[in-house]
Amino acid sequence: MIYYQLRNELWKMFGKKRTYIGFGAFLTAHASILLIFRYWQGPRRDMVHRLELLGYASEKFISSLTMAVAVLVPVAVFLMPLYVALVGGDLLAKEVEDGTLRMILARPISRFRLALVKWLAGLIFSVALSLALGGLGAAFASCLFPAGGLFVFLPMEGIFSVFEPGEGWSRYAIATVIVSGNAATVMGLALMFSCFNVKPAAATILALSVLLTSRIIQEIPYFHDLQPWFFTYHMNYWIKMFEARVPWAEILQSLCILFGFNLTLLIVGCVAFQVRDIKS
Amino acid sequence: MIELRNVTKKFGRNTAVNDLWLTVAAGDIFGLLGHNGAGKSTAIGMMLGQVWPTAGEVKLCGYEVARERQQALQRVGAIFEAPAFYNDLSGWRNLEILSSYTAPTPARRIQEVADWVGLSGRIVDKVKTYSHGMRARLALAQALLPQPTLLILDEPGDGLDPEGIHEMRQTIQRLHRELGLTILLSSHLLVEVEQVCLSIAVMNQGRKVFQGSIAETRQGRGWLRLRTGNFAEAVAILRESGLITQEREGRFILPAAGVGADQVVERLVERRQPVFEIAPEEETLEGFYLSLMKK
Repeated sequence: MIYYQLRNELWKMFGKKRTYIGFGAFLTAHASILLIFRYWQGPRRDMVHRLELLGYASEKFISSLTMAVAVLVPVAVFLMPLYVALVGGDLLAKEVEDGTLRMILARPISRFRLALVKWLAGLIFSVALSLALGGLGAAFASCLFPAGGLFVFLPMEGIFSVFEPGEGWSRYAIATVIVSGNAATVMGLALMFSCFNVKPAAATILALSVLLTSRIIQEIPYFHDLQPWFFTYHMNYWIKMFEARVPWAEILQSLCILFGFNLTLLIVGCVAFQVRDIKS
Repeated sequence: MIELRNVTKKFGRNTAVNDLWLTVAAGDIFGLLGHNGAGKSTAIGMMLGQVWPTAGEVKLCGYEVARERQQALQRVGAIFEAPAFYNDLSGWRNLEILSSYTAPTPARRIQEVADWVGLSGRIVDKVKTYSHGMRARLALAQALLPQPTLLILDEPGDGLDPEGIHEMRQTIQRLHRELGLTILLSSHLLVEVEQVCLSIAVMNQGRKVFQGSIAETRQGRGWLRLRTGNFAEAVAILRESGLITQEREGRFILPAAGVGADQVVERLVERRQPVFEIAPEEETLEGFYLSLMKK
C-alpha cells in the first residue's frame, strides 16, 4: 500500500514543471561556471599559481575532477537549498491551496501516513537532485577539461588538498551521495512548515529564512563556541570528504545530529498537520 | 449511515456549527440546505474527518470518524464544489492516484468507472484540457472507484451550466437507482434538491432548523386552492358562514379551525356557486425554505 502511495507522490511531484527548475538551474550554473574557468584566464592563473607555489604540476591538477569539485561546492551550498525548499514547501501547502488535499482526505488514509509518504518522496527528490548535481558537474567538466588529479582549495573550511585521480573521483562520488543529507534536511524543514496553515511560498521562504539565519548566527565570530549547536554547522560534513584525512567520526556525528533534527522536523510537521482543520 | 450527535465546531470565537443533531438513513437521498456560511461545508468536513469537531460525535457507516477514520471512510466517496485535480497528469493517472489512497485499484475497474461516467474517450488526456463538465465527471469517477455505499456531494452543481445541472440530477438519480447508494447532497440549488432528494435538513447560522421528508415540506400551512365561477363572491359566502378566516391571491382560502374542504364545497354548492377545483396548497421547497429563514 505504501508503495502505491509513494509512487503517487512521485508521479505528482515529477508531473509538475517546477520540480525540474532545480535541474535546469544546475545545468545553467555548471555551464556558466565551467565555461568561465575554461575560457577566462584569470581564475585559472590563480589556481596555477597556488599549485605551483606548493610544487605541484599544474597541468596534472587543472582537470575535469578539480573543476567538478569547484562547481559542486558553491552550487550545493547556495543553490541546492533553494530548489529543495521550493519542492518541500509545495508538498502539502500546494495541495491545500489547489484543493486536492480535500480530495485525498476524503479517503481512508491517515494524515500521519500521508505526511510520511510525502517526506519519503521529498527524500527521493533530494537524493535525485544531489546525484544530478554531481553527475552533471562531472559530465560537463569532462567535456571541457582533461582528466587528471584533484586539487581542492577551500580556505573557509581550512582545506587545501591534492589527490590522485582514482582517490579524487571516489571522494567526489561519496561527497555527491552524502550531500543529499543536506538537501533532505532543507526539504524536511520546508515540509514541516508546509504542514502548518501557510501558503506554499511562505513555507519555502520560512525554511530558507531558518537556514540563512542559522548560517548567519553560526558565522558571527563571537558565537564561534556555539557553532556545534547550529544545524547548519553540521551540514558542512560532506565537505570534509575533501580533507586530506577524512574525519569519519566527525562526519558520522554530524549525520546522526542531522538525522535527529530531521526526525524532530517530521514529528513537529505530523503533529501540526494532524491537529489542523482542512477547509476549502 | 450518517449520525451527528450534539456536534459543535468553533473557529476561534466564531461558532460555525452549533449543537447539530443529524441522522441520514441508508438508502436515502438527503439534501443539506442552507445559505452560504450556514455551516454545511463545515458539517461535511467533520463527516470526512477533515475538520475536527469542538464537541460532539460524528459517525459514518457505524464508525466514529475521529477515532476510526479509516474504517469510517472505507466505503465513502466524496465530491466537492469545483473539484480539484492534478492538471498536468491524465484523467486516468488522477484516478489511479486518488483511488490508491483507499486501496490499489485494478485497471479494469478504472476503465469500467470511466465508461460509466462517459469519460472513456478522453481518460488518457491531461486534465488541464478538460471542460468543467468533464472535470465534474472525473470527480464522480474518483468518488465511485472505491465502490462506495455512501456518496457525499458538497455543492456539486456550483459552476455548472443548465445542461450540466440537468446531467448532474440525472446522474444522482441513476446512482441511487442502479447502485443503491445513500447520497448526501449539500446545495443551495433548491429546485435541484426538491427534484432529487427524499428528505432534507435545513441549516441556518450553524443550527439545524428543520429535518424531515420532502413530502413534509410540501404540505402547506392549511391553505386551500379554490377555483370557482366567482372567487370574490365565494369568499363572501364563506366569510359570512364563518368557514374561512383569510383569502389571498384570488385563489387561496384559509379555513377556520376544524373546517374541512368538504364543508366549504357543501356550502358553496348550496349557494349555487360552481366549484371546479379545491385542493390543499402544495408549497414549493423554495417557499418552505424562505419561510424557515424568516422565523
